[in-house]
Amino acid sequence: MMDNQRYLQESDEALSALLASYRDASPDPEPSVNFMPQLWQKIEARERTSRVFTRLTRNLVTAALALSMLLALAVEISRSRGGSLPSETYVEVLADDNASQDLYSFEPVRVMPVYDRQD
Amino acid sequence: MLVDFKLIERARDGDAAAFNQVVSAYRKRILGTIGRLIGHPEDVEDVGQEVFLRLYFSLDQLRSAEVFEPWLYRLTSNAAYDYLRKKRRRMEARMSDLSEQQMMIADAMAGEKVDRDDTARKRIREEVDSLLGAVSEEDRVLLTLKEVEGLSLKELGKIYHVKENALKVRLFRARQRVLKAFAASRKRTAEVGR
Repeated sequence: MMDNQRYLQESDEALSALLASYRDASPDPEPSVNFMPQLWQKIEARERTSRVFTRLTRNLVTAALALSMLLALAVEISRSRGGSLPSETYVEVLADDNASQDLYSFEPVRVMPVYDRQD
Repeated sequence: MLVDFKLIERARDGDAAAFNQVVSAYRKRILGTIGRLIGHPEDVEDVGQEVFLRLYFSLDQLRSAEVFEPWLYRLTSNAAYDYLRKKRRRMEARMSDLSEQQMMIADAMAGEKVDRDDTARKRIREEVDSLLGAVSEEDRVLLTLKEVEGLSLKELGKIYHVKENALKVRLFRARQRVLKAFAASRKRTAEVGR
């Protein structure tokens, strides 16, 4: 038990030493000559992508605005041409429509036999 | 601070030359930190560029000089964390694609590489990398910033926006996990040496 505790304590000290030596074992590397040019390429690529998205969003918003204005205009024109909108319900309009139809169109069709001509 | 805050303000206002100066002042230090955080020298520049890219697009949110460095460290630890997470996912996917025989060949090749490598520095790096692999990416980054980079709890508190006590608990737990793995590996080495 005591040995195990001492072993763990020794390991703890050895681990601290190992981690401290890790910093010396991996010194700060010198950046390559391409570091800055590549970085600016990446920055420009991301800026281009975000510009495309901004333009797309702006176009979509403009199109949606134009469409809603057109719809509003169309509603206004139909209202001014057709007078006021009907006040009846849909069922009432259907009932009126049925009543005004001529009844003969609902008569059953009479099928007359056609005889072969015998000369 | 390695640069004057006026230079950062100029960079924030869109002065490319000022931004270049800021990057030049900090890049070596940041690349070193990233190297120790991720343990893959071949990807250090990529992650470093990601850090400065994020810095460029978030400079307009910077309000005062004293938060600049903790903020840059925050960007660095976030980029390192993202990299480690992606790397682990890629590794898992790759390992699940390999057959058992391929796995054995991969292990043998890795062992051979270690045998060939006789420099003490590389051995230390590999040992620490494998030990830090025993904890989560978040704990790995936190532990490296504290134990290897030597940041104080106060500085870490500024980076993580977390209270010192909460950090102490997290650090203690992460260190205990690493210590357990380290003690086990020492025991194994001692047994093999006997």
